[in-house]
Amino acid sequence: MNNLFELWKRIERSSIGASVFRVGFPRSGLDRARAMVSSFFLHIHPARVNRRSLAPTTTLGLGLASLYLFIILTATGVLLMFYYVPATEHAYDNMKDLEFAVTAGQVLRNMHRWAAHLMVISVFLHMCRVFYTAAYKAPREMNWLVGVVLMLLTLFLSFTGYLLPWDQLAFWAVTVGANIAGYAPVIGEQVRFVLLGGNTVGQSALIRFYTLHVMLLPLAVAMLAGLHIWRVRKDGGLARPDEGPRSAVEEFSGEDVPQTKTYGLMELAHGTTTAVGAKPEDEVSSWPHLLFRELVLGLAVLAVILALAVLFDAPLEGPANPVKPPNPAKAPWYFLGLQELVAHSALWGGVIIPGGLVAALLLLPYLDRSPGGVGVWFSKERRTATTIFTVIVVTLVVLTVIGSVFRGPNWAWQLPWAVTQSVH
Amino acid sequence: MSSNHVSRPWYAAFVIFAIAVAGLASAAFYKDQFRAWKDWQRSFVEQEIVRATTPEQAAAAKRIRVEIRQTQLPELRRVDRCITCHLAVDDPSYAGYPQPFAYHPNHDRHAFDKFGCTICHGGQGRATTQEAAHGAVEHWDQPLLPLRYVEASCGKCHVPEDVPEAAALTQGRKLFDDLGCRGCHRLNGIGNSIGPELDHVGRRRSPDWLVAHFRNPAEVTPGSAMPVLGLSDTEIDELTVFMLSLTGEPLTEYYVSMRTLPGANLGQRLFEEKGCIGCHAVAGRGGDVGPDLEGLGQRRDAEWIYSHFRDPQAVSPGTVMPQFSFSEQEARALTEFVLRLSDSEVVGYLKIPRMMSSEQRGAAVYTKYGCAGCHGRDGKGGVINPNAKTGEQVPSLLYVAEGYTTKELTEFIKRGQSEIAPLDAKRPAPPLYMPPWAGKIAPGELEDLVAYLQSLFPEEEGLDW
Repeated sequence: MNNLFELWKRIERSSIGASVFRVGFPRSGLDRARAMVSSFFLHIHPARVNRRSLAPTTTLGLGLASLYLFIILTATGVLLMFYYVPATEHAYDNMKDLEFAVTAGQVLRNMHRWAAHLMVISVFLHMCRVFYTAAYKAPREMNWLVGVVLMLLTLFLSFTGYLLPWDQLAFWAVTVGANIAGYAPVIGEQVRFVLLGGNTVGQSALIRFYTLHVMLLPLAVAMLAGLHIWRVRKDGGLARPDEGPRSAVEEFSGEDVPQTKTYGLMELAHGTTTAVGAKPEDEVSSWPHLLFRELVLGLAVLAVILALAVLFDAPLEGPANPVKPPNPAKAPWYFLGLQELVAHSALWGGVIIPGGLVAALLLLPYLDRSPGGVGVWFSKERRTATTIFTVIVVTLVVLTVIGSVFRGPNWAWQLPWAVTQSVH
Repeated sequence: MSSNHVSRPWYAAFVIFAIAVAGLASAAFYKDQFRAWKDWQRSFVEQEIVRATTPEQAAAAKRIRVEIRQTQLPELRRVDRCITCHLAVDDPSYAGYPQPFAYHPNHDRHAFDKFGCTICHGGQGRATTQEAAHGAVEHWDQPLLPLRYVEASCGKCHVPEDVPEAAALTQGRKLFDDLGCRGCHRLNGIGNSIGPELDHVGRRRSPDWLVAHFRNPAEVTPGSAMPVLGLSDTEIDELTVFMLSLTGEPLTEYYVSMRTLPGANLGQRLFEEKGCIGCHAVAGRGGDVGPDLEGLGQRRDAEWIYSHFRDPQAVSPGTVMPQFSFSEQEARALTEFVLRLSDSEVVGYLKIPRMMSSEQRGAAVYTKYGCAGCHGRDGKGGVINPNAKTGEQVPSLLYVAEGYTTKELTEFIKRGQSEIAPLDAKRPAPPLYMPPWAGKIAPGELEDLVAYLQSLFPEEEGLDW
């Protein structure tokens, strides 16, 4: 153990080691700050972080879990790209090759599939967390907007990936999903046409979905996620009940503090007073406290994905057959709430309600301008907002569950345990 | 929380999740690497070492690599990995060995590298686990074809009559014609649509379903109008083989041309069907509009004849020979056949429509369109049609000459009779009915058919007018 430590020290001090690691393993407070600031990979973190932000109950780690899932998806996705050919006559056979002939092919596909589903869930839960802790309020309005766009991109990423295996499940889910898009007034038909590259799902749709799935959308998510995290820092870290320089200045207002001069100590502190950060005892250095927790969360996410990938194989039905629709043909599960609504009314379910919900989400921080409850779960000051949001979320979940398991042939009501064997 | 160290529970969590990740990664690795096919290959290598008679052979056996083996069949859109386990299919010294190392008899008859395995045997070629490869899994609709039905696959490329070895296929095809299945079912554009079209039935239905269906149609298809055919088990199997051969699978030129190269049966059938003898004479019989085909081989080469069948005008401008739109393989088969015409034995067996009487041709029409399916062989009736006023049977045709004039009978066949008078109005209507044949049967054929039906009247009874 000691020898290993000595070896590491020697590597650190060698000319190559020193040029790579620079700060070395930090042992002083200053070095801990420098370690965070001087590393490209770590510099998105603050040098010091509020204790409250570190508590698991503050965020449940949902945002970072989403990021980890995105990284897992990127890594497995790139590996899958080495085998996948986005052509209707090859795509399905590629899936079979992954399963039967490619080393680790099936486990990669499983990881990719389950991570995609989990990312949809974790992004949604992350949004719920931010709502329930009122973390979208000033000055974080813009970051909420970015977050909503990221959630829509996540859904679209998952949806575009859904088509790629080119099996019956993929083909008909995307057909149904694209039809829902077609319900939008005036532009619906055009949107559907542009999305599919035609009037039906075929080779043009496959190559479009593929390009969106492996290029455009991941790039957009990566860039917006960067912006999203950067804004967390710029907006003063995670939302806390008593925050902001105003309160700090107020506490020290009895003293003669010059208000015009600003002080900055690298990334340690910033403000109009030397005593910025009203309660220094509330902050600890990010190294190791934040980093270690992030590491543990990363391992936990990876463990969950691996467990799912080992236990459950990603679904693959028969090859896509445009003349043999399953009954019922269902959209991907996260759109089944929508499909359930559409089954009742195309206009309401396909346009007005989803459009209204997205608009309401985007406008939320500008509609709800009251400052109260920031950083507190289910704050009593926000009882109305919490109730409305909860009703919507529960409704959405209930509709999704109904669409997923309570709908049989011809979208008729069916108990999940009374499912009859489909006849081939 | 001291500023230098993370609290203990976090270290514990780290250790737990790190162990979980390591364990699960190992599990994933194990699942990925330990496959049954590797064990089969290893036991094959061991067997090869035991069988080796010389040190060189033993050394060669030891060099056999454990790896996935496959036959790439781009033209058939298949990759067959069956030989990953079935390692001795092309080694006659393994004849009689238990599976998966058994030798495949006649292995060079259909070269494996050109045909693979699944085109004949079914199953899932890309799969490398026994269960998935043998194909009896969800979402795979072509499981391994039981060996007793494997002749069905011959029919994917070969015309049944061209494969004497596939007796069941030929017999099934003959039964299909004799039983008059086309009276209700359409196949290759001929027949009626009381029952489903059969062009792709081999892909839709499993052998078990077909057997149960032929035994008692109503058992697998409740309410089916199809009569119980009363076939023997052998006949049921033969008919099942023929049904299974109807997959409609698209095949490329290479495989389709194989269909006609060995036999001229298709050529002969086309020659008869198209009525070539109407214009061309063979051995002094036939028409004189076109040239006599005697000694054709001396006058023309095969290429000329072939091109002539594909496009007469291109080869002989101004010819009155019609453009028949023969496919490439049809033209090739016909070429083969006409080149053999100087062989008088061939001519002797030729069924020449122009030389037959109208009644004889009508009998062929009766078979071709499956009238026997409902009206019985030779129009003798006997097919059950529950609740039909005519003795709960489809009427016999022996006495039509008595009740209909030629014109009335022609009109009746064209029009059909969609409603059959019931015996008991309270019971369900009789399921079988007379479909309209107008547009489905050529006018000349209808004329012959009517002549045939009128000839059925038993002579000894005499016309009663």
